[in-house]
Amino acid sequence: MRIYAIAVYLFLYVPIGIIVLFSFNAGRHASELRGLSVQWYGKALSNPFVGDAFFTSLVVALSVAVLSSLLGTAAALALQRLKGSLRVLFDALIYISVMIPGIVIGIATLVALVTVFDFLNPLLAALWPEGAKPPKLHMGYLSVIAAHTLFTMSLVIILVRARIAGMDRALIEASMDLYATPWRTFYQVTLPQIYPAILAGFLLAFTFSFDDFIISFFVAGPNTTLPIYVFASIRRGITPEVNAIGTMVLAVSLILLVAAQFLLRARTRR
Amino acid sequence: MTMRGVSKSNSWLTVVLLAPTTLWFLFMLILPLIVILVFSFGERAAVGGYGGGFTFEHYLNLPARLKAFQNTMTFAPVGTLLCLLVAYPLAYYLALKVDSRYKLLLLVLVIVPFWTSLLIRTYAWIFILGGRGIPSLLELIGFEGVRLINTPGAVLVGIVYGYLPLMVFPIFVSLEKLDKTLLEASNDLGGSPFKTFMQITLPLSMPGMATGCMLVFILLMGEFLIPAFLGGGKVFFIGNALVDLFLQSRNWPFGSAVSITLVVIMLVTVSFYMRMTLRSKTGRDESLM
Repeated sequence: MRIYAIAVYLFLYVPIGIIVLFSFNAGRHASELRGLSVQWYGKALSNPFVGDAFFTSLVVALSVAVLSSLLGTAAALALQRLKGSLRVLFDALIYISVMIPGIVIGIATLVALVTVFDFLNPLLAALWPEGAKPPKLHMGYLSVIAAHTLFTMSLVIILVRARIAGMDRALIEASMDLYATPWRTFYQVTLPQIYPAILAGFLLAFTFSFDDFIISFFVAGPNTTLPIYVFASIRRGITPEVNAIGTMVLAVSLILLVAAQFLLRARTRR
Repeated sequence: MTMRGVSKSNSWLTVVLLAPTTLWFLFMLILPLIVILVFSFGERAAVGGYGGGFTFEHYLNLPARLKAFQNTMTFAPVGTLLCLLVAYPLAYYLALKVDSRYKLLLLVLVIVPFWTSLLIRTYAWIFILGGRGIPSLLELIGFEGVRLINTPGAVLVGIVYGYLPLMVFPIFVSLEKLDKTLLEASNDLGGSPFKTFMQITLPLSMPGMATGCMLVFILLMGEFLIPAFLGGGKVFFIGNALVDLFLQSRNWPFGSAVSITLVVIMLVTVSFYMRMTLRSKTGRDESLM
């Protein structure tokens, strides 16, 4: 039994380890290890395409994380007060948006937004004053951020709601009885109790967005995120540079995940 | 809550707090799904976009992608079953055999890979199964010309590797919740370990297994990366057909019909799952009586 468990852990971690090891390859060929060096990290970091893609991913992931933790927390708090069929409807929408495969969301969002933009752009052009250049709606940062946020917002709602369910209601009632304003009750009683879940949601949202390939592939328009860049490079062939970028992508999510786990654990300890 | 004014201001607050989420669901979930539903019944325009009209042509044309549907409907259940077979012993070990001090850490170690880039993790297997990976090691011991990548086996390995964590977690939770005194009682009454497992542990972990299977199955139905990287054009799923239809051949109405079919198959699966779990719950209540 124990040996089996060790084997499964090896199965899970050896491939990751191999990518990390080969990213320090001193040789020119991806699969021949010839001494260790960090030259490929230097190559990757000085590649302007990688830099641009990394910057795009960072902006998108950060916006997604901020948006979804704000909106998700607000919705989780409001859903506590909601009852009846409306509540059932929201629950269904939350679970659908978590469960629906990224590829369907990517396609449906692409088709819907392109259709809406094709309809709105001539209107905007007609309404715009003569001479000035009318704005043209197109796929880009905003469409990726909006599409990612659908999933991550629902994720935050689920996490925060679980935390609210485990919260001591008596504290809130006590605060109300002591004539604290609702805002003060929220700020001083509710928020300190739910913030680990919000922060964990923030980190998971960031990780999801930073790692997502399939949704971005459809809705990013001319923008290239880091996973899209990596996908295109792998299609061209395996190079040690891809290993170095891959290792950096893994490192970013690993660091955030450890932080998220730490927070969720602090939550259960209390 | 008894005071009218309070509940009124509360309901305003509820509306304000829920407004952004509602907008998101409307414009990023419901509207897009309606649009592809409408598109799937439309004519194809000259450039591949939507040309209006109403036709069942694209649904009737679905057999053109029969291979993708067949592959998906074979690999998704087989992959799910493999995940279950690999995950169950591990979940069992973690829930019932491991010292509680290490339990959480070991569980976290299983889940962490799931939240890292599937792209990079699948790429790792191109590396391992590719010509200079395991096959070159096999050559050293005399097995020449073994091809691992771009085979159904490679796709299955990628599936188990990618989705194992998602299967372990719910099974772990259901085994962890299991009342350990039942196991002791069975043991005291002379039940063999095998009998205890078959009659107590396995039935009680059914809900966890069902949840894990449903999660993995649904994600596999929409999988694109694993067959794209490890199937090498030979093993392709609906997801790969969709990428081709939308981004290469730009046949949006047909692509929409394929996506809608995919969503319908998934909805059927979920409702089947719901019915199964509900029935198993009532079944248990009856057996308790």
